[in-house]
Amino acid sequence: MKKRAIALMLTAVMALSLAACGGGATTTREDTAASSGAAAGGSSAKVKVDPYAGDEVKIAYIAHDIGTPNNQGWKEGIERECASWSNIKVDSYGAEESAETQVQIMTDCINQGYNAIILQCSDGTALAPSVKQAEEAGIPVITVNLDCSSDTIHSALVMAVDYDAGRMAADKMAEQMGGSGKIAIIQGVPGLERTDNLEKGFRDTIANYSGIEIVDAQSASFQKDTAMTVMNSFLQSYPDLKGVFAINDAMAEGAALAAQSANKKGQIVIWGADGEKDALAMIESGDMAGTIYTNSWDEGSTAAKIALLMIGSEYDYTCLTATPKVIMEPIVVTKENVGTIAEEDRW
Amino acid sequence: MMKNFNWSKYSKPIILVAFIVVLSILRPKAFLSLDNFSNVLWSVAVIGIMVSGSIFVFLIGGIDLSIATLCAFSAVVVVSVTHMLGDTPVAVIAGVLAALVVGALAGAIHGIIITTFKIPAFLVTFATQSIFLGLAMVFTNNKIISCTVPAFTAIGAFKILGFPLPVYFMVIIALISWYILRKTVYGRYVYAVGGNPTASEISGINVKLASIVCYVLSGLTTALGGIVLASMTQQASSGTGAGYTNDVITAAVIGGVSLLGGEGTVPGAIFGAVLMGLLNNGLNLMSVPSTHAGLVKGLVIVVAVAFDAMQHADQSRKKVKKVKKASA
Repeated sequence: MKKRAIALMLTAVMALSLAACGGGATTTREDTAASSGAAAGGSSAKVKVDPYAGDEVKIAYIAHDIGTPNNQGWKEGIERECASWSNIKVDSYGAEESAETQVQIMTDCINQGYNAIILQCSDGTALAPSVKQAEEAGIPVITVNLDCSSDTIHSALVMAVDYDAGRMAADKMAEQMGGSGKIAIIQGVPGLERTDNLEKGFRDTIANYSGIEIVDAQSASFQKDTAMTVMNSFLQSYPDLKGVFAINDAMAEGAALAAQSANKKGQIVIWGADGEKDALAMIESGDMAGTIYTNSWDEGSTAAKIALLMIGSEYDYTCLTATPKVIMEPIVVTKENVGTIAEEDRW
Repeated sequence: MMKNFNWSKYSKPIILVAFIVVLSILRPKAFLSLDNFSNVLWSVAVIGIMVSGSIFVFLIGGIDLSIATLCAFSAVVVVSVTHMLGDTPVAVIAGVLAALVVGALAGAIHGIIITTFKIPAFLVTFATQSIFLGLAMVFTNNKIISCTVPAFTAIGAFKILGFPLPVYFMVIIALISWYILRKTVYGRYVYAVGGNPTASEISGINVKLASIVCYVLSGLTTALGGIVLASMTQQASSGTGAGYTNDVITAAVIGGVSLLGGEGTVPGAIFGAVLMGLLNNGLNLMSVPSTHAGLVKGLVIVVAVAFDAMQHADQSRKKVKKVKKASA
């Protein structure tokens, strides 16, 4: 009798938390059922479970904008990592580019008692309280590429290099440009730590080359079509432009298309950073000169591994004095070595 | 002579010319070239195409919030169908037709639901916005699908006399839409329905049918915009056209289209789009950093729209005076 009452209560809690999640009209949710079994209820006390011993485990992946190649790469990496265990379930959420929506999804996930949360933290300050709340509820939070403000200690951060990626791109670009000429930068959205660092690394390194001048920097909001417009105006303003560094690959692809349309294919050294499939193809065709490649699938799967490690372990964020980091291996890709990146590593 | 000069009629071209003069003085080399004008028009072509159709919806007092996601879905349709049929030029044509059918159907569904169930257009298109996004995500498995078939990429990049095809599309669609609104009976119906639906109904206009056609036209141009955008960027995804709903509505409103219905012209809406394009182009050419660009953009729009509105207010004041004089 007592058992039945508890079961009823748990069901009610689950139904409520599900309803709470469904209430977010602007969120998109993708189910990837590695298992159909019901998972733990809305309890907030940390109960240690062992994901590798058949305990029911569910992991939430919360992306800033689930439609981008990077986010899809991470999502697939996480799913692949967990696919071998039918007791591990991965749910992916997209926040449609809104930090407020991400906060709301975080709250829903905490209430639903996920065992771990993998978060692309779009706004460090806005999401810090949610990350703290999750960790306090015994839910390890692993951030991907973008981290929350540094005083919020949590289980782990898995990231692609930022400052160093800018540095590496700058050195290789300078070499391709023969150490002289004008460069323009196409920026994303200002204020994101990762891309700001990328740009800083690039600028600091270019400063070492006296023959190279950064003549302009404009934002194209990470969008390919906007980058085409920005590139067109660069071509108008600086007819002798020799190099373009775009903070992400989508914008570099847009710049390359604009150069192509102005009959300047291959004449301008265009670089991106990410290493997505389309950019690699454009390097092969000579439209782009290079990019800094990070294996997004690997990055997602690394985040999932850490999540599973944390779920099954005795220790949690309280024994840490800083958020531990895993930094993914960057590969400088140019036409010479693009062939070495195998088809199955192109995300 | 100058006293009777109708400023309000020419206030929009005057603003554009003023803009062009200022930019030519500030950046003569970069701004004053055929290439740059071609770039500006190219950058507003998609918005121009879309607004030429959505203006019908705005004129009947409706709104379409699903522009961006329908654009994404039709982009996905054209690219997927092209791939499915083997990337031949014929496949591209089939893809384009399929996307246009999707756009027209989407518009028809909007119109039918809105007029039959009397649900506000805002709500219906808010819901379908989400549906189209969902469809685009499902169809692409949430990935970017690229398409570099020459016959397809030509739609967005092929140049005639220095201007890429999308610019011609914009001009042609705008002319057609201007002709429908100005020269046909249906065009008069649209203004009448927007001005006073009840009176239109009583005077024998099939308001329901007229409204549905408006949504179909809007769906068609949105789909065409999606096709052109996909071709320009050589890819389609659920993110294609993100932000275009805002851009299209903004262009229309800057161009004097009233969101309450019954007021606005196609040249006005195109003016709005071109003004925004010139503004972005100017900011880029002047190397205004992105931190300041928003501020400058907002200020310029306020000044331009205020100038335009002032001329119109002036004109109506003159009219009132005339009427008063006549009745005195």
